[in-house]
Amino acid sequence: MAKKQIPLIDTDIHERVQYKDILEYLDEPFKHYMKNCHWIQEKHMPYTQPATAGVDRADAILPDGRPAGSDLAFMQEQLLDDVGHEFGILTGALDPSPSSMHGWYEMAAALATAYNDWQIEHWLEKDERLYGSVHIAAQDRDEAVKEIERVGSHPKMVQILLPIDDIMWGDPYYHPIFEAAEKHDLMIGMHHNEPPVYYGKWPRYFIEWHTLIPTAHMKIIANMIFNGVFDKFPKLGLMMIEGGFTHIPHLMWKMDQQFRDLRHEVPWLKRKPSEIMKAQVRITTQPAEELTKKEFMSLIDQMGTDEMLCFSTDYPHWDYDSPYRALPNMEPELKEKIFSENARAFYPKLPDKREE
Amino acid sequence: MKEQVVCKTSDLQPGEIRESFFGKKNIIICRTQNDNFYAFMNQCIHQGAPLGKSLLCGATTDESTPGDYHYCHKDEVIRCPWHGREFDMKNEGRMLANPDKKLASFKVRIENEDVIVYK
Repeated sequence: MAKKQIPLIDTDIHERVQYKDILEYLDEPFKHYMKNCHWIQEKHMPYTQPATAGVDRADAILPDGRPAGSDLAFMQEQLLDDVGHEFGILTGALDPSPSSMHGWYEMAAALATAYNDWQIEHWLEKDERLYGSVHIAAQDRDEAVKEIERVGSHPKMVQILLPIDDIMWGDPYYHPIFEAAEKHDLMIGMHHNEPPVYYGKWPRYFIEWHTLIPTAHMKIIANMIFNGVFDKFPKLGLMMIEGGFTHIPHLMWKMDQQFRDLRHEVPWLKRKPSEIMKAQVRITTQPAEELTKKEFMSLIDQMGTDEMLCFSTDYPHWDYDSPYRALPNMEPELKEKIFSENARAFYPKLPDKREE
Repeated sequence: MKEQVVCKTSDLQPGEIRESFFGKKNIIICRTQNDNFYAFMNQCIHQGAPLGKSLLCGATTDESTPGDYHYCHKDEVIRCPWHGREFDMKNEGRMLANPDKKLASFKVRIENEDVIVYK
């Protein structure tokens, strides 16, 4: 029996580059450092991801051995055509992740430029369903703004990608990035990376880190809100990617209660934090905790809106969420919001409906 | 009793998984290093991942203590290709982290070189 198709707007798909593939897009001297000096981005995680194939779904590794996510045709067959995606938002594989580099920002900026050009040529212009994320080296704010100006107007770039790690992006130093985003109708997408949290250290076991990823997400949402980003840039939206969603009611309640007591410190906030979140912050669903329908509906009720959640698969990673199985059954109207309409309403550059 | 020859024993090596059909049911046949054969539905009970792409491997056991791994069940555990959930073939395909849950399984016997699956 043919599987039922789901016209999904998938808010987290990881396409992957291999370093050799972006050499042709890199300028010198950076090309030399990668090609001849074997540069790779620093990585710190002391563990592997202890499922069956590292960070990937074992069945997403290509038959010829290339890494999962590195081939469009295979992704089309295994994901986009199989599920029936209407659109998918590419979020990179975080390797390389220019904004996570702890030095050599010139290299990071060159890498971001090369990556964006590779992404546009090999993915965005090859499949009408795929939309992209602008990669920048945000540590050098002014270079980052130049890169946004260079590719941000591309019709298929819908957001700017920033990592959640050891930089708190709400700091006014980074606000020109948000100004440039707003200018080009780009949203901000944030995804955790390495190191995982503001403190920069790791717990002893992977399961501890992976369980508590939402704490890093909560830190950055609070940071963006209390630093006044969303009142200063009222058209800006923030998509929090891959932190799950059960922490959201807690965070809204906590920020509102703190704001009632401590508003004096952040007088630039014009609205309650929970109102800012409902208006300008969206949350991807994966990795979804396994909730019953009753628990899930209760959580939506606690959020006070059914317009914050946007379904994501995280393909091709090991903790992929199946659009068929990850969330409990729900009413068609709510399902349509979570599986497509909330994301469509969030990204100004996504078309209303894909033309058949 | 419905039964069916699904393959020859030589069609899969020790430690390998092979996909097959039992009637219309898509199943997997697993062969351990000790040449025991098992058959399960080719679908993880969690989110439906294809178990034909899973790994037959060992597992850390509950004899482990903090900071000291104890590892056994060599090639007797099916690890899902997506989320890595572990199912113990020798214990009716039960999930290690939650033995109340188990894979749908089928009986297997070997006659001559034939692998025969039956209910």
